[in-house]
Amino acid sequence: MSVPTLSRPAKKLPRAFYIMVLPAFALFLIFHTVPVLTGIYYSFTNYAGYGEWSFIGLSNYINLFRDERILNAYGFTFLFAIVSTIAVNIIALSVAMALNSRIKFKTGFRGIFFIPNILSILIVGYVFNYLFSNSVPAIAEALGINALTSSILASGDTAWIGVVILSVWQAAAFNIIIYLAGLQTIPGELYEAASLDGASPWQQFSSITFPLIGAFFTINMVLSLKNFLQVFDQIISLTGGGPGTSTESISVLIYRGGFQGGEYGYQTANAVIYLFVIIAISFIQLRILQRREASF
Amino acid sequence: MKHSATRRKLAAASSAAALAALTLSGCAPASGNDDVVTLDFFQFKPEAVGNFEEIIADFEAANPDIDVVQNHVPDADTAIRTLLVKNKTPDVLTLNANGNYGLLAEACVFADLTDMASAQTVLPAVQDIVQELGSCDGSEVNALPFANNASGIIYNKDIFEEYGAEVPGTWDELVALADMFEANGVTPFYTTLKDGWTVSPAFVNLGGALQPEGFYDALRQDETSFSAEYEEAMEMVSKLFSYGQENSPSRDYNAGNAAFANGESAMYLQGSYAIPPIRAANPDANIGTFPYPATDSPQDTVVVSGVDVGISIGRDTEHPEEARRFVEFMMSPDIVARYSEAQSTFSPLSESPSNTDPALEGLAPYFESGRIIGFIDHQIPPSLPLPAYLQEFVLSGNTENFLARMDNEWDKIAERTITREEARS
Repeated sequence: MSVPTLSRPAKKLPRAFYIMVLPAFALFLIFHTVPVLTGIYYSFTNYAGYGEWSFIGLSNYINLFRDERILNAYGFTFLFAIVSTIAVNIIALSVAMALNSRIKFKTGFRGIFFIPNILSILIVGYVFNYLFSNSVPAIAEALGINALTSSILASGDTAWIGVVILSVWQAAAFNIIIYLAGLQTIPGELYEAASLDGASPWQQFSSITFPLIGAFFTINMVLSLKNFLQVFDQIISLTGGGPGTSTESISVLIYRGGFQGGEYGYQTANAVIYLFVIIAISFIQLRILQRREASF
Repeated sequence: MKHSATRRKLAAASSAAALAALTLSGCAPASGNDDVVTLDFFQFKPEAVGNFEEIIADFEAANPDIDVVQNHVPDADTAIRTLLVKNKTPDVLTLNANGNYGLLAEACVFADLTDMASAQTVLPAVQDIVQELGSCDGSEVNALPFANNASGIIYNKDIFEEYGAEVPGTWDELVALADMFEANGVTPFYTTLKDGWTVSPAFVNLGGALQPEGFYDALRQDETSFSAEYEEAMEMVSKLFSYGQENSPSRDYNAGNAAFANGESAMYLQGSYAIPPIRAANPDANIGTFPYPATDSPQDTVVVSGVDVGISIGRDTEHPEEARRFVEFMMSPDIVARYSEAQSTFSPLSESPSNTDPALEGLAPYFESGRIIGFIDHQIPPSLPLPAYLQEFVLSGNTENFLARMDNEWDKIAERTITREEARS
């Protein structure tokens, strides 16, 4: 049985390593890199998704900056992502600390808190949609809370709150797990020593817990911001971008305009720019937060 | 029974074979018996597969030299585009006559049907709707209308009778009627703002009736604007929706059909396509229809109608003669009538007897006399999010803002499209 040999001079590593990496490399190339490059290619055309097309140079990119629908989508997406990132990290850290303390049924609780992460967002989204549209108003009516008797999804001013609630609820589970892992790296003696010195719980948190989980905090902030910037399923299942276009995120806009609106080339240009925006933001965030970590 | 089961099995087998043939066509002449020509028939309506199967069986019985194979795929709009991109136009096809059809027709992928005998039997007003969407060279007839739908106000006959209400003939009568229902504690219109598109029926009817002739052509020439011509219509849309029930923003189309079917409102701003789901929710619903009275002169009232099913022939079909025979057969008055009865649609033919569905009675006369106009939203490019804007408009009631956004968005899209055309030339 002969294995096909590579013509290159043999390196130190056994050939088997290269052969094992090859299929994954090929798959990555075919299903990831090639589509990305094709997309970038089409962003310089007026392709509608079908039919004839031609090169139009940079005009898609120029038009993007004159399109306030796209600018509005950026505004909404960033507002949503920042609010959600802050909320999810506060909630996840609090829950993780509670789950890390000496409470009863600790493992059971940890399991329960992880459930949202394994459910499909689309399905959960339709459940939340029903809750927001029907259950919450009905309960509010019964209790006489006038502010909540109409669905929050029905108004352009409040629909985004519904999206934040669903997204934070779903994303908290994963962040809790990361924080829990971080909290378990802190030796218990530190807290013992601190309490002997008379440190209050808040002092213990700000001087021991938070600094020592800095790396976990960084990774959670970067990952949640990146994920929230790509928000899609939550919006499709809750509001569909509405009412009006008030909750139209960039991903939703790319999908709507590109696939349903027949402006494939134009929205691909939007996607290409967005790819670079997300890369840049993640990079900057990582740099700033890591610097903060190092200062301790 | 046994016979029909066999026939179905045969049909299934032959449609599978036809799919294979579709991918091979172009390389080989019609296979099998030299005397029998096989026609690929692309059919887009999932609910009408059975109806077309019967039509085909009758046709084949009368034309033993032609074998018609019905191909039906999910998501027909995408499927037909894919076939066209690969230059595999089916011999005969049905499509919904919407903006997408218009784009395809302008790309000259369909044959010219101007000289077909059945083209003369179509109501001219209906053919105009198809022509307005677009055609090859701007003059050819690229699709013959086979079935029509219509947009109108649906009303609950029982509630009307209870309050002694008459079907309104003018805009003022409609408003007075709505006021009367409201005063009596009856919701005049059940509105479903959670689905933005449910504003469209009112928009296309009032906008379509009140806009000046040739508005969209002028708009494409940049000679007019929504702000200039649509203010009155939008105020009227806003007025109608102000009569909706309180929880409208959190109710969707399905909820609306069920609520209206169960008598929760006197009227419903929808189209003929909502009649089957309403009856599904309540088989005893006693419903009727009337057109939107857009003005104060009943003789100006028109009905917005779209061609639900249009029939076309592929431009490069290898069997033009057989394809035309099949189309003539489908367009014969009794076939059209049979289909419209089965699918609750209107017949586009001048001679065909009108649909006897009592729920359609109020709209039928407008058909026969040709007082119909097309869906104006078929003229608006799909990249403009009209339903979302309409939804926002009704929720906020801000006419000026809506019109400004429509103009702005239209201009931007026009600019992008112009860039496209310049690049092409």
